[in-house]
Amino acid sequence: MTLVRALVIAGAIALGTFLGAAVDPQSLPFIGTERISAVFLLDGQAYFGHLEDTPLSGTIVLRDVYYLNDASKITTDLPVGLLKRGNELHQPVDVMYIRRDKVLAIERVTPGSPIGLAIAAQRSLDRTAK
Amino acid sequence: MGTIRIALAALAALVALALIFAIGAVAHANEPIATANPAQLTAQKAAVERDVERSYEQAFEQVRKVRALNLAITAAQADQIAAKAVADLHALRHSAFQSLGQVMGMAPAEAETYSTATETRFDASPVASASASPAPVLLAPRFYAVVSRMSELATLIADQATTALTAPPPSASPSPSIAPSATPRPSASPSPTRP
Repeated sequence: MTLVRALVIAGAIALGTFLGAAVDPQSLPFIGTERISAVFLLDGQAYFGHLEDTPLSGTIVLRDVYYLNDASKITTDLPVGLLKRGNELHQPVDVMYIRRDKVLAIERVTPGSPIGLAIAAQRSLDRTAK
Repeated sequence: MGTIRIALAALAALVALALIFAIGAVAHANEPIATANPAQLTAQKAAVERDVERSYEQAFEQVRKVRALNLAITAAQADQIAAKAVADLHALRHSAFQSLGQVMGMAPAEAETYSTATETRFDASPVASASASPAPVLLAPRFYAVVSRMSELATLIADQATTALTAPPPSASPSPSIAPSATPRPSASPSPTRP
């Protein structure tokens, strides 16, 4: 009986250690800053938004999606412009399912990056408009 | 007794599952959402102003350069075309600054005042003559829409003016005449020549 208890405790410690190494504390709910992810696809397109990556699912889910657009012919400071997904001709709802096998990389967007700042500014403008 | 235990266990499992979903939903609803602070919004606004003004200045410069060429049309026609293009560009810039003010949450009257003041400021110190270039800013989508539309329309106005200015002068179209003009025909017999 004592051996079983010891094994259970050891197993719990091992599992905790494993999960502790795998889980980013910043990604836990109620703490940390907003988590915006950049999803780079194999075809070169990149999307930014809130990522829901459920294990064992063939797709990942992005919400509140933004993407970059060529602005080389427009007089902006940078040759790209940020667009919010939803204004296309089919006006998609605010969720995007991406096949997992088409994803090249997933990275976290820094809040102070140009993308992070532009998204934050868009949120402020949206709140002002309401 | 055994059935009741099984039912209670199933109920407990359902309650646990519901609790997990509820916690997930609450966590999702309370996820922090970052918004821009006033300084960041001011930086974005300044970038939009620069971009709008840059569009205006580039289009204005294009019209001015084409007008300075030796054109096939008369000077009066060229002046008229150039003046119309410049007036359209002025109106477009004014409208773009007004749109910017409204996107920032200003009332229409306030946006009008803001637009006029911004135009005056840039007329006094154009972007092209600015010595220091500020750090590049990636615009928020709503700001980008204003700049994109302004740039597109300013290019359109300048290109239309260029086409009109460089067009060939209107000339009377040659009307087909039934009677051929009198041309000296070679005579069949050789003219007598003097020895």
